[in-house]
Amino acid sequence: MSERQPSAERPRGAQKPQRRASGGGRAWLRHHRAMMSDSALRLVKRPIATLLTMLAIAIALILPAGLWLALDSARLLDAELDESATLTVYFAADVGESRAMDLAAEVGEQPGVAGTRLVTAAEGLADFQQTLGVDDALSQLETNPLPASVVVTPDATAPAEVQALSQQLQALDGVDEVRLDLAWLDRLQQLAALGQRVALALALLFGLGVLLVVGNTIRLAVESRRQEIEVVTLIGATHAFVRRPFLYSGAWYGLGGGALSLIILVLGGNWLASPVAALAESYGAHFALPSLGIGHSAFLLLFSTLLGWLGAWLAVGRHLADIKPR
Amino acid sequence: MIAFEHVGKRYGGRFEALADINFRVERGEMLFLTGHSGAGKSSLLRLVMRLERPSRGRVLVAGHDLDRLHISQVPYYRRQIGVVFQDHQLLLDRDIFANVALPLTIQGVEPADAARRVRAALDKVGLLHRERALPIELSTGEQQRVGIARAVVNKPALLLADEPTGNLDPQLSADIMRLFEDFNRIGTTVLVASHDLALIARLRHRVLKLRDGRLVGDGEAA
Repeated sequence: MSERQPSAERPRGAQKPQRRASGGGRAWLRHHRAMMSDSALRLVKRPIATLLTMLAIAIALILPAGLWLALDSARLLDAELDESATLTVYFAADVGESRAMDLAAEVGEQPGVAGTRLVTAAEGLADFQQTLGVDDALSQLETNPLPASVVVTPDATAPAEVQALSQQLQALDGVDEVRLDLAWLDRLQQLAALGQRVALALALLFGLGVLLVVGNTIRLAVESRRQEIEVVTLIGATHAFVRRPFLYSGAWYGLGGGALSLIILVLGGNWLASPVAALAESYGAHFALPSLGIGHSAFLLLFSTLLGWLGAWLAVGRHLADIKPR
Repeated sequence: MIAFEHVGKRYGGRFEALADINFRVERGEMLFLTGHSGAGKSSLLRLVMRLERPSRGRVLVAGHDLDRLHISQVPYYRRQIGVVFQDHQLLLDRDIFANVALPLTIQGVEPADAARRVRAALDKVGLLHRERALPIELSTGEQQRVGIARAVVNKPALLLADEPTGNLDPQLSADIMRLFEDFNRIGTTVLVASHDLALIARLRHRVLKLRDGRLVGDGEAA
C-alpha cells in the first residue's frame, strides 16, 4: 500500500517516512481494535457519568421514536381504511328486485370496479333496523322507503380515481345517487402527512440534541487528555490516530444511548399496553400498541451509533485545531 | 542534516525571535545550542520540529524543505526526529513501558517487535528493571532518562533536546550528556539546547551561540 520514494538523491534516513510496506493495514486494524476496547474501558471506569450521558441520548431518541411508532400505528389504521374506501350506489326507488340484480351486474362490468355486493331493499331495511335498533318505528311503515343499493369496491384507492369512478357510475340508467365520503379520507391523509413532518422535524431537532450531548462530552474528554494529545502530536501521530479513540467513545455513547432508549420504549409500551387494550375493548375494537420490530430496533441502534460518532467527529475536529502546538 | 538559510521568525509581526540565521549541521554531528533564555533556542528547535514555519528563509532537514512539506506529511516527518523535553512530557497514566512504546504504537510497529525495541531502549538508559513503574514513582533524573528512551526508541536520524538537564544536578546532567554522546557515536545527529555552559565547555563539541535572535558564535566551546 505504500511505495517507497526513490531515495537516490536523498541521504540515508531521508526516505519518505512512509508506513512500512508490510503490515500497514494490520497495524491500522490493530490500532482500531485497541482503541475500540480502550475507549469502552474508559467509559466503564466512570459508570455514573457514562450512564448519565447515555440516558440523555436515550431521552432525546425516545420522543421521535415514540412518535414514529404512533404514526406507524396510524398507518395500520389507514391501511384498513383503504379497504373500506368503498362506494355505495343507490338505485332509484322504482327499481324492482330483478332489475336491481341486472343493474348490479352492469355496475360490476364497469371498468375500474373490483367487486360488488348487492344490498336489496329488504336487506337494507334489515341492516338499518339492526344497527339503529328501531324495530318498532320501522314496522309502522307500510312500504319499505329504502332503495336497493350496490356496494362497489374500486380498483384504485386514490381519491381522484375513486371520484372519477363515482361520476361514471352516476351516469348509469337507474342509478339515483353515488355516495362516497372522500372529505374525511382526505383529511386523514393530510393529518398523516402533518404527523410525518412533525416526526421528521422532531427527529432532526433531537438528532441535533444527541450531537450536542455527545459533542460536549467528547469536548471534555479531549480537554482532559490535552497533554497526551500534545505529546503524541509532537512525536508524529496523525490526525486520524489522535481522533480515533474519541470517535470510538462517541460511537459507544450513541450505541449505549440507543440501547437504553429501546429498553425504555419496551418498558413504556408494556406499561401502557393494558390500559390501551382496555380502552380499545370499550369501543369494541381490537387494538394493540405497535412495537419496534427487529429491523427497526437495529436501525435505531445503527442510527444512534452513527450520531454519536458524528458528534464526536465534530467535537474532536473543532478542539484538535485549538490544541495543535502550531 | 539540518540547514538554515537566512531564517527569520517573527511573532505577531513585531517581536523578532530569530533573524538571519545561517548554519549547517552534517549527518552524525553532535552540537549544542546555547544562549540566555529568550535568545531564540526554543524557537529554533520549534522550526526544526516543524511546529512553526519561518517568517523568512528556508529550513531544510534530512532533505525536506520544511516549508514545502505538505501538512499531511508532517506527522511522518516528525517520526524521524526524537525529541527530549525539559519537563520530560511523559504520560502519567501509563507505565514506563507504554510511554517508551508510544512512538512505535503511533507507527504501528508489531507488538512483539515493539517490545523488543522498548526493552533495548530502556536497557540503554539503565531503566529496564522499572518498565512496569508509573512515571511519578521515578526520580526526576529517571524520568528524564525515560524521556530519552522514548526519543530514541524508533532510532531517529536526528535527536533534539530542549534543556534536557534543566532540572538535574551536575552529576545527573553529566550522565544524561554521556547518553547523548553514546547515541551520537552510533550515528545519530544530536542537537542539544542548553544554557549549562560549564557542562558544555567540558564536552568539547561544536556550539551554536544565540543572542537576541542572532547567531553570534559557531565553533568549539572556548
